[in-house]
Amino acid sequence: MLVEAFVLPKADLGSFVEKLKAGYEVIGPVANDPEFVFAPIDSAADLRLDYDTTILPPHKKYLAPPKETLMTFSGPATKTGEPAPAGKQVLFGMHACDVNGMLSLDKVFLGTYPDPYYKARRENTAIVGLNCTAPCANGFCSSFNTGPGMDTGFDLSLTDIGDKYVVCVGSETGKALAAGLAPAADADRIAKSKALRASQEKIERHIDIDNLGEFMHQNVDNPVWAELKERCLACGSCTNVCPTCFCFAVKDQVDLTLVAGERPRDWDSCQYLEFSRVAMDHIFRPDRAARIKQRLYHKLTYFAQQFDGSPGCVGCGRCATYCIVAIDPVEVMADLRDNPGEEKAVKLYTPPDKKVTPETSPWEPLPAKITAIKQQNYDNKTYTFSFVDPAVQEKYTYGNGVFNEISVFGIGEVPISISSCADVKGAFDHTIRAVGNVTKALDKLQVGDIVGVRGPYGVGWPVEKMKGKNVLVVVGGVGLAPLLGTIKYIANHRDQFGALEILYGARSPKDMLFTDEFEDLRKIPNTRLLLCVDDCLGMEWGHNIGVVTTLFDKMSSKPDNSIMITCGPDIMMRFAVKGMLALGWSPEQIYVSLERRMSCGIKKCGNCQIGPIFVCQDGPVFKLADIQGLPEAAL
Amino acid sequence: MVNPKVAFFKFSSCAGCLLNVINIEPVLLTVLSVIDIEYFVMAKRDNHHGPYTIGFVEGAVTTPKEVLELKKIREECAIVVAMGTCAVTGGVPSIKNFSGMNQDQLTKTVYAENIYDPFLASIPAKGIDHYVKVDAYLRGCSYDLGEFVELIKRALKGEDPMFRPHSVCNECKLKENVCLLVSKGQPCMGSVSAAGCGALCPSLNRQCEGCRGPANDCNAASLAKTFMEDLGLSKDDVVRKFRKYAGNTPEFSKGAEAAL
Repeated sequence: MLVEAFVLPKADLGSFVEKLKAGYEVIGPVANDPEFVFAPIDSAADLRLDYDTTILPPHKKYLAPPKETLMTFSGPATKTGEPAPAGKQVLFGMHACDVNGMLSLDKVFLGTYPDPYYKARRENTAIVGLNCTAPCANGFCSSFNTGPGMDTGFDLSLTDIGDKYVVCVGSETGKALAAGLAPAADADRIAKSKALRASQEKIERHIDIDNLGEFMHQNVDNPVWAELKERCLACGSCTNVCPTCFCFAVKDQVDLTLVAGERPRDWDSCQYLEFSRVAMDHIFRPDRAARIKQRLYHKLTYFAQQFDGSPGCVGCGRCATYCIVAIDPVEVMADLRDNPGEEKAVKLYTPPDKKVTPETSPWEPLPAKITAIKQQNYDNKTYTFSFVDPAVQEKYTYGNGVFNEISVFGIGEVPISISSCADVKGAFDHTIRAVGNVTKALDKLQVGDIVGVRGPYGVGWPVEKMKGKNVLVVVGGVGLAPLLGTIKYIANHRDQFGALEILYGARSPKDMLFTDEFEDLRKIPNTRLLLCVDDCLGMEWGHNIGVVTTLFDKMSSKPDNSIMITCGPDIMMRFAVKGMLALGWSPEQIYVSLERRMSCGIKKCGNCQIGPIFVCQDGPVFKLADIQGLPEAAL
Repeated sequence: MVNPKVAFFKFSSCAGCLLNVINIEPVLLTVLSVIDIEYFVMAKRDNHHGPYTIGFVEGAVTTPKEVLELKKIREECAIVVAMGTCAVTGGVPSIKNFSGMNQDQLTKTVYAENIYDPFLASIPAKGIDHYVKVDAYLRGCSYDLGEFVELIKRALKGEDPMFRPHSVCNECKLKENVCLLVSKGQPCMGSVSAAGCGALCPSLNRQCEGCRGPANDCNAASLAKTFMEDLGLSKDDVVRKFRKYAGNTPEFSKGAEAAL
């Protein structure tokens, strides 16, 4: 069907903008000598529709701004408000690359767990696009079919055909905005097509997207990455100016009362060392080359894997334009294509297909009271929580091995796995070691104190798949916390499972959790519990000395009709998995729990990614077969 | 509730960081309602001895006497904060460490022979964490007042302030400043320097001088190469840039060494 189109003589642009201003704040490209930025305009005279590109992408700046307050609070669990809803705005003159970048961001913010702040702005924002009849110097949008013209994502799109614009209608809103304009004649439409074709021919920069995902996976070890590491300054400009980069960090701010304040989010960047930092200064992606790879792989393949095939790169060219050392995806890809790695079969990761749309804001922690605290060992406590609102508690269910975000306003949020069994009603447990700002604050709390909790999040242990099978549990240190619920579930439903064998290792006897429950675990029918420590510290110890894999000789579990589940430090799981594979177990029957910096829990902040994986939603429990051979090693 | 006791100390430096404390007028009275300033020679006549909850230390350590004083401060203060670049990395005084002269030559060059006094005995300029454990850092020449107040709040709450050590480029891009390096060919050091200043200098059209020291895992060697090969800076200029505020740090040393 022919798109509805009108014409807007350039002489009438001023009155057209005035009309828009009656209903919207009009935001358009203005000069920021010698560059351009999107900013609110007073009149069409401010507009610089001849702009090539802008420093920040307009949709990111105005739909997911660099800093925004999620909520305000007056105490550790007392929310006082949220920002006022956004007013109506029109982004006037957005180029096709940015319109497509916005459509990609829509997938992030409006997909699973829709973000209420982005959603409110998006719904109050009209898009008047501007097709590029004079392509910019660094763009390569035609490679991804995200420019120079736009087919979708706009309310109106303008195309300069000389003394007038052809105005195409993309929505009912757009149609209303175009009221009063004269219809486009056939000659106008032809002029538009010609202008865009000519523009497309002028684009000289291209990325070969043939088999791009597979090709990237085959070039993980290409020497190109080591060269880029020597050049990259790690400044992070590339991610700030990128129209599809969405990662952010949440850090509470308090005023001088020290208890009241706000919870804002700020853009963050995977290029920074501390992006993947967790408590105890552990950094999951310490190598700069790995961080460079993470960005370019995310742009060129992961994003599409994560978000329904939407492009992670729209070819706007900003990252190349603003890179001091001229790291340019077009050149990087040309280098890779010139010296490709070995062609090999590649399986691209596919995330679980799920969309969660909660009734309330996914950002809102709900008050939960601490009803019991139990000291587990010298640095771990188990807290029992119950939501203050009985109706919330009544509806609250979770799978074994999933996690909650525990919030203490004024300090922050922390993802903690649930250590109670999914069978328990009316309360839930978290076993917590006081190592970071939030966990240290939790450590000071008493029974009766209230914190915020949101969740549960993630995919837990495959309890349904384990039914009818023998279960081998390999645990290291505090890794028992996310597994204890599952062990208890097996005990509660003993006839539904085969033999249960638990291998539990820790640094020393005093580092073990739940020691007072060991007798109960041993009493579960058809169950063995084998223990080991690296060092018994001179204490009486009637069990193995050594790492947990030294228990493999003593275990009775066999691969037949069995599932292994494991949780512990990465290095322990790596060796445990290696040992199991050597004993003939298959990656299809091994499940691991990976933990990264799961700051938001709802597939938004980006901190927890491992290659194409969002640990917070795709995991934290993964089948080994699903995460083997990723470009970024998961274990 | 008794307010925590706070002290301000100064070693070899310009005193600007201490003076800067008094510049927090808009929140000064509120801050003074949550802390008691017990020792602040620049601002108070009536000063008291420790122990103190928080000790803010300005200045580089450049004499043996200062080392002893610093160790005493460490004993007296539960929390020691390196306040300003001199205390953090050695700052401007540390330029002398790279002069190529030994201490005797330096003394003779700087002071007329007839005024020489053992009091002037000097050692290489270092940040205070060269000698004592430091709990928190306020980077910058001078530091950012917002960070100063933030640090007080976090300290009172017993938290790590976790100031982000990422690049000045980050804050510069968020302000949509025209890039002084890419667009104007100026040797701005923002890409390898730690932010927190709100990209103050580039926002005023001045290159970043790296006063807050290196950003996390920055690549100063690569920027040094860009300065020389693309912007035509001399070897000496590049070396001077990387040794102006934080030549003592391993990161900026790499920038200077790449030019040498």
